[in-house]
Amino acid sequence: MTQAAVRLTGLRKHYGDVRAVDGVDLTIAPGEVVALLGPNGAGKSTTVDMMLGLTRPDSGEVAIFGAAPAEAVSRGAIGAMLQGGALLDDATVGEMVGMIASLHRKPMPVTEALRRAGIEDLANRRGTKLSGGQKQRVRFAVALVSDPDLLVLDEPTAAMDVSSRREFWRSMHAYTNTGRTVLFATHYLEEAEEFADRVVLMRAGRIVADGSVAEVRALASGRTLRAEVPGVTAAAVAELPAVTEYDVRGDRIAVSSRDSDATLRALLSRFPDAHDIEITAIGLEGAFLTLTADEENDR
Amino acid sequence: MSVKFLILEIRRVLRSPRFLIFTVAFPVLLFLLYVGIFANGQRSAVAPLMVSMTSFGAMASALFVGTRVAVERKAGWQRQLRLTPLSGAGYLTAKAATGLTLALAPVVLVPLVGALAEGVSLGAGGWLRVTLGVWLAAIPFALIGLLIGQIGTADSVQPMTQLVMLPMALLGGIFIPIDAMPHWLLRVSHVLPSYWMSQIGRGAVTTDLSTSLGQDVLWVAVWTVAVGFAVVRRYRKDSARV
Repeated sequence: MTQAAVRLTGLRKHYGDVRAVDGVDLTIAPGEVVALLGPNGAGKSTTVDMMLGLTRPDSGEVAIFGAAPAEAVSRGAIGAMLQGGALLDDATVGEMVGMIASLHRKPMPVTEALRRAGIEDLANRRGTKLSGGQKQRVRFAVALVSDPDLLVLDEPTAAMDVSSRREFWRSMHAYTNTGRTVLFATHYLEEAEEFADRVVLMRAGRIVADGSVAEVRALASGRTLRAEVPGVTAAAVAELPAVTEYDVRGDRIAVSSRDSDATLRALLSRFPDAHDIEITAIGLEGAFLTLTADEENDR
Repeated sequence: MSVKFLILEIRRVLRSPRFLIFTVAFPVLLFLLYVGIFANGQRSAVAPLMVSMTSFGAMASALFVGTRVAVERKAGWQRQLRLTPLSGAGYLTAKAATGLTLALAPVVLVPLVGALAEGVSLGAGGWLRVTLGVWLAAIPFALIGLLIGQIGTADSVQPMTQLVMLPMALLGGIFIPIDAMPHWLLRVSHVLPSYWMSQIGRGAVTTDLSTSLGQDVLWVAVWTVAVGFAVVRRYRKDSARV
């Protein structure tokens, strides 16, 4: 058996009464590209911090290529793009990446890291004179320069516009094609859908779904039914068969259903005037909403 | 830590106009000004003033760099560095080393102006004391800077540094020459590392109100150990908090 790139066992961390991470088990094989999804406060960043050794878990274990995070870091096996900050105002892009490179044992050339992040032309620019998207790319170059086997990205495309986001993922693709392991936290579902081999969904400090994009989508199987229904009431919608969730605004209804055929038949027999009927499969976004909405119901 | 890392650190500080004004231009200008006001054409008064301003420049450089730790913590740069093989102790050492390297500027410049423009002449041993001696005595100030940088926030380090530097300079016999101090103030100054720092140089230029080199070195060493201990303690507490 090959050694796992990441192995988290029974990971827990609480801050006061808040259980930020509440028993996370996760194994990532080398070469996997994993998206970590979840609403704010789900424990994604805390999990990432513990993986990087920036935060010590209350209990549980972290192994990165079989070693403790600190050891993996000192070997240069982990590169990370942290959320926000992490740049200097009084240094140029080239200098910042150069400083990080100078601390690693086997860095790639600074120009190479800049090229891969698509910012060769910014080498002489100061940290203060960068746009949000450019800053993200500098952080990416900083994460890349140690030539790590595992790349951890916390919200990598925050503050990027659509075109730079696309550009960013293109450079990421080039990197992962070399067989590196990537874990990225994001709240852009389409990024997870397009880019990840595997999706891990967290809420309230736990993993609630873990699998390929198709598998996670299937977990919240079902369809959404939308229609214009004159004279509809919320109570009437709630009584329809197989309904998991619904939203009524005037005559307009949106219903999540486990069995859209049964729901539709019942709807049409009760409200023959229903029109503009639309049935769509739940995408990852729907699955995400369904799975994380459970949170509210639990409380 | 690597040489390249240190060079880049030094280059960053050199970009700060405040740093250059405060620690390079200021001591030289103050020296020339003080000579004009206090020396009254007396040769013997010039050298002690030169020592005072050298001490001031070295103290300011060493303090200034350490405090930037707070700014880098706020910027998240420290977190990024924790993802490299650089240890926390290595980071602090690098900062202190940067501060001391930059302190070389006033330590060389002020005596150079003293020798060339103000006609101060000393033996080789004397020059060594007012340059190398004063420079080494800046070590506790680099540590005090680190302590301020560890305790303070990006917003509070500035006033905190001033709050430390001003009394050190005023009461330690740097801005107010010790021969002009009332007796009680002179006693107070004996507590401060800035006093012992300038004494290391003063002993080489005058016997008036100067203490023995052994005593000076001892007090600087005591300060170094005490503040060093505080810095390490604070660092341990900081890293335990994660």
